[in-house]
Amino acid sequence: MATTVAAPSVTGKAHKYESGIWSWLATTDHKRIGQLYMYTAIAWFVIGGIEALFIRSQLYGPNGRLVSADTYNQLFTMHGTTMIFMAIMPLSAAFFNLLIPLQIGARDVAFPRLNAFSYWVFLAGSVFMNVSWLIHAAPDGGWFAYAPLNTRQFNPGVNMDFWVIGLQILGLSSLAAGFNFVTTIINMRAPGMHFMRMPVFTWAAFVTQFLIILAFPIITVAVTFLLFDRFFGTNFYEIAAGADPLLWQHLFWLFGHPEVYILILPAFGLVSEVLPTFSRKPLFGYPVMVYSLILIAFLGFGVWAHHMFAVGMGPVADSIFSVTTMLIAIPTGVKIFNWLGTMWGGNLSFKTPMLFGIGLVGLFTIGGISGVMHSSPPSDLMQTDSYFIVAHFHYVLFGGSMMGLFAGVYYYFPKMTGRMMSEPLGKWHFWLTFIGMNLAFFPMHFAGLNGMPRRIWSYDANQGWDFDNHLSTYGAFIIAFATAIFLYNFLRSRGHGALAGNNPWDAPTIEWSMPSPPPDYNYAKIPTVTSRYPMWPQQGPTPLSPPVPTAGGDQPLPTYQTAEQLGIHMPTPTIKPLLATMGLTLAFVGLIWHRQIPIILLGGAIFIVSLYAWVLTPLEPEH
Amino acid sequence: MTGFHRARRTVYAALTPVFVLGLAACAGFPDTIFGAHSEIGRTEDRLTYLLLILGGLVFVLVEGALIWALIKFRSKPNATTPKQTHGNTTLEITWTLIPAVILAVIAVPSVRTIFETQAAAAAGSLQVDVIGHQWWWEFRYPQYKITTANELYLPVGRTASFTLRTDDVIHSFWIPQLAGKRDVVHKERPNYLWFTPDSAGAWNGFCAEYCGTSHSNMRFRVFTVSPEQFAAWVKHQQTGPAFPATAATPQPDTSKKGATPAPSPAATATLASDTNTATYPRDQLPTWTVPATPLPADEHFDESTIAKADPARGAQIFKTAACIGCHTIQGVSPGIIGPNLTHVGSRTTIGAGLYPNDMKHLTMWIKDARLMKPGSIMPPMGKGLPEAMGAFDDQQIADLAAYLSSLK
Repeated sequence: MATTVAAPSVTGKAHKYESGIWSWLATTDHKRIGQLYMYTAIAWFVIGGIEALFIRSQLYGPNGRLVSADTYNQLFTMHGTTMIFMAIMPLSAAFFNLLIPLQIGARDVAFPRLNAFSYWVFLAGSVFMNVSWLIHAAPDGGWFAYAPLNTRQFNPGVNMDFWVIGLQILGLSSLAAGFNFVTTIINMRAPGMHFMRMPVFTWAAFVTQFLIILAFPIITVAVTFLLFDRFFGTNFYEIAAGADPLLWQHLFWLFGHPEVYILILPAFGLVSEVLPTFSRKPLFGYPVMVYSLILIAFLGFGVWAHHMFAVGMGPVADSIFSVTTMLIAIPTGVKIFNWLGTMWGGNLSFKTPMLFGIGLVGLFTIGGISGVMHSSPPSDLMQTDSYFIVAHFHYVLFGGSMMGLFAGVYYYFPKMTGRMMSEPLGKWHFWLTFIGMNLAFFPMHFAGLNGMPRRIWSYDANQGWDFDNHLSTYGAFIIAFATAIFLYNFLRSRGHGALAGNNPWDAPTIEWSMPSPPPDYNYAKIPTVTSRYPMWPQQGPTPLSPPVPTAGGDQPLPTYQTAEQLGIHMPTPTIKPLLATMGLTLAFVGLIWHRQIPIILLGGAIFIVSLYAWVLTPLEPEH
Repeated sequence: MTGFHRARRTVYAALTPVFVLGLAACAGFPDTIFGAHSEIGRTEDRLTYLLLILGGLVFVLVEGALIWALIKFRSKPNATTPKQTHGNTTLEITWTLIPAVILAVIAVPSVRTIFETQAAAAAGSLQVDVIGHQWWWEFRYPQYKITTANELYLPVGRTASFTLRTDDVIHSFWIPQLAGKRDVVHKERPNYLWFTPDSAGAWNGFCAEYCGTSHSNMRFRVFTVSPEQFAAWVKHQQTGPAFPATAATPQPDTSKKGATPAPSPAATATLASDTNTATYPRDQLPTWTVPATPLPADEHFDESTIAKADPARGAQIFKTAACIGCHTIQGVSPGIIGPNLTHVGSRTTIGAGLYPNDMKHLTMWIKDARLMKPGSIMPPMGKGLPEAMGAFDDQQIADLAAYLSSLK
């Protein structure tokens, strides 16, 4: 196998990657990689959602016995891990891939093959971690995996091995993508695309990449320590050897709090694109929106210990982290007010993307307010680790991130596929999600204030929690039904949606100037940008949003000239990033599977040989 | 400073109606954080009320503005292009400053309360050492040399000062009706928490930090009692086990398999003298402190076997069985891995608040604790069970349970 990989690739070979499964396995096209991210993320969103349904069914009434305590602990650990690392982050990554080159007027990302590698590594990491379900040994230490519960002494099985290694793999993917996008945004903007003309989504993506680059090394270090503890007998977290269990918490939350902004800022960016289009007005206070993104990201590194008010840090540390946490509410509040300012005085048309965008503004506000409540440590001692927190972060992550990402899916689906998603089904999806999510998560505030602790498999009768839990379970199933409608709409519209045309929403940013779906080379001629909203005339757009296209569902997509015909050089497809990923994964499989040294060495060899072959293959065909 | 204090008093006075509403709301919500029964809990509650009011205000204003905008600015067929505003510096500065002011209003009392509540406990406080175990709570009263488990007795009106340590992983000590939680992190370096209960009652406590398989089954009870009752409880706990195992007459026929003689007279006497006034009266336990955990589907114990149980035989079995390796009974056994059983019969629950402490549950617990409580470190004692450490038949187990029940 290794020798095949090492064979130099022949230029003419690229043809075999032009269609079928190979065209996906070997793609370096950012739009295709973006779609792969999107499909995979939606699949994990469904799986994480099924885990949530088990959790909610188990907690429907007191003393539930649907699943065992061990299974429940695996379910909530994997629900959190899946939604954060395999659904929301990659769904954001899908938009980074689809949109950044289009929005800055580039042909592709800076490192197209590294981009493919990022996707394959993400896929490998997420599958790796979930394979544990097949042997009923899924990770069970919580997504936060606190020490010393994560050590061999207290968790002797392979459960947390899957988590440690899986997270390590996923982190590689995010880091590689982070450097890629930063390079792309700094270096590949079209002429005239100044930083202060960049679409706000690209700004949000840009800031998020810095968060990833700065935060993921911390979790990588933390997880590497844990991996060494678990596999090679070091004592970073072994309390029996005198380790301090708070080391993990500091490292984890120093990553974990910026991670919260990694999850929400891309959604903020998407909503900042959607609201102006459907309000027929530019974004209110563009510079302040950009500065507040940067400020949130900056302050986000100084608040981590607000997750630790109960651990006994002492009054001085509690006070400092309390105040920094309150400070971060200011730029976040400014964003909410500026979105209101964007809608204020506009002509709002309530198309599906707009509904989800408004959903983010309204629901994230609730999560923001409860967030400020936790920033006061004495009050937080009553709230932390109760269902009040569960309510809070679901308003932030579902009401915020997922609402924003759904807005993005409906908004950019036409650009991605050339076809529209169904508006009526979209509205059903929105309203059921909106009702379901409030029914599921609002009662959790009351359950928490009434003393229900988090992460409990089962609770006793007569605690006053039954009604809240009934409602939450109903809500969860309504969300599931809404998601089924979305899946049908999403999958069916790919082949049967109405033809979109270049700019179905009459949106203002340059990605809407190109055909939908864009040709593989994006812009036939790199555009020159002269304003923030080049697609809208100086005096403003048409007063009303155009009607949503409904015709042409049975017609084929338009075709364009190929890159060769236009004389544009595009990167050749290659499967070497995929082979490198397979080698890397094989090495980790060898580590977890009875530490088979030959398998680890074989995997490492495949990885290194693939990397050499990758580096020695020219990016563009020789001519 | 005085002006500030006046402002603070005004705010708290304004909060009183809400406070009363909160109290009213706790009927039916026995573990609510509202209307806490200690000064620390009430201080924390006051901040929560302030946050709820300010948060509620922001909620109404922002959502109101949003809904207003959605209705007023919805597109109408004959609309013209809206004014292309790009921002408004005055407005943007205003809505940066207003949240800053609101946050300052929260920050000042927050920081003050942090220092107030984390100050050293008053001199003469009742010292309680809390040790978290997977998955039960050990409580020691060093001033009185008492060790017990899963049930705390605290006198009303005296500050209880807790020193929190763990024996294994991180736990969190939380009694929602009394005070906010404090994590139990280190083995050597303790965390501290204090509060002064101000009303008598029975409260639920929980482990609030995920700590493994039976995290949800790591509950405890707190009984706040009058100082006189507390003194009586202390005196009772300081005495040796109620059933002196050494004094029990050895029963020659206990070793014979299948032998089920009638209970000895001594045992009957002990069981009958169930009039312990030092502990919280069982018939006055509020419903929310009586566990309703269902029995595992494949668990059963024959009632007739329980009827024939003999505590004297149980005492003999205990002394020679694996029990002594893990459990302390004062004067009988030195084990320290599991809960101290010297007065286990006086407790209202077993398994860390999981089951009522009665013969039915105790027999099943001894037979197969892991079936009763997922992940329990105590191995099954019943004959022939997987991983069993004992090989007791049902009658022997019933005898053991009778013995333990007699340790009031």
